[in-house]
Amino acid sequence: MSGYDFQYLKVLLADDSRHIRALVGSFLRGFGVRFISEAADTETAFSEVVSFSPDLVIVDWHMPTTNGIELVKRIRRSPETPNPYVPIMMLTGYTEIFRVKEARDCGINAFLAKPVSANALYKRLIGVVDDQRPYVRSNEFFGPDRRANRSDDYGGADRRTARRAH
Amino acid sequence: MTASATVHPSPTRLKDKVPATGGPDPKAAVLKALNAARDLMDGYQGWAVDDLQALWQAFRETEAATERTVDDVRRMYDIAHEIRGQGGTFGFSLITVLGDSLCKFLDRRPSLDAADLDVVRIHITAMKAVFRQGLKGDGGQLASELPKLLLALRTRVDSRAKDGG
Repeated sequence: MSGYDFQYLKVLLADDSRHIRALVGSFLRGFGVRFISEAADTETAFSEVVSFSPDLVIVDWHMPTTNGIELVKRIRRSPETPNPYVPIMMLTGYTEIFRVKEARDCGINAFLAKPVSANALYKRLIGVVDDQRPYVRSNEFFGPDRRANRSDDYGGADRRTARRAH
Repeated sequence: MTASATVHPSPTRLKDKVPATGGPDPKAAVLKALNAARDLMDGYQGWAVDDLQALWQAFRETEAATERTVDDVRRMYDIAHEIRGQGGTFGFSLITVLGDSLCKFLDRRPSLDAADLDVVRIHITAMKAVFRQGLKGDGGQLASELPKLLLALRTRVDSRAKDGG
């Protein structure tokens, strides 16, 4: 036994394809995740965010009734959200670079392209678990720092007038 | 002009919920996941035919329409997009290659003329052939050649449109 222990992790899986939900759910259970909630649309997904209070949300882009991007924004900004810092992984077939940037700019923590493999999902999960990035809040954005390799040793000009809260 | 922002650590630490030790080693975890999903992956071809049938139905209705709108294009795009994501996920890489090409062709296209419809038909027919012959796996050399062939097809039709031909 020398790997990550996912048995206490609560995951919400939001995808309108029941086949993808079934497959990704199988992958997660194979990794040892025991608590999985599912949603086929953004309204149900947000209700589950509130009632199930997941530790991780895996969200598809293309979903009724709004879409995954709107769901992420709502999770990050709604006062109803129990944990607006909840890590969010976007799992989508929309892989064009402008889409990836749009997803990043709405506050996701990780992006995983379909088609998805068990290996890729495992690696991305580990990446989210190990992710130590701080969160940034501004008028336009709330989410993990989009500068992936932020360093406190950086000696150049900081374009944000940021206040660091430690 | 700079935007005011605050930077602070997240109060949520997944590491507290997911210790880096105590679980199966990564290779065993992935293998277990693949085994857990085997039945689903084996059953993909059966239900994927329904998606393909829906795409074919959308195509036939678009083809028969007197006026083809962006909604017709969008309907086919949405189905093709689903097929693209699911194909490779369930072990049919060629389906993803074909779905990807079809999505690129349909994306932001306002309508479809007869030549455009031929391109759509070729993609759907090729998808049917992949399922009929059970071409699972990474697709081998065909998967590396096919995107180039499909790009050439799309480019030819698009350049014809630009030339006004």
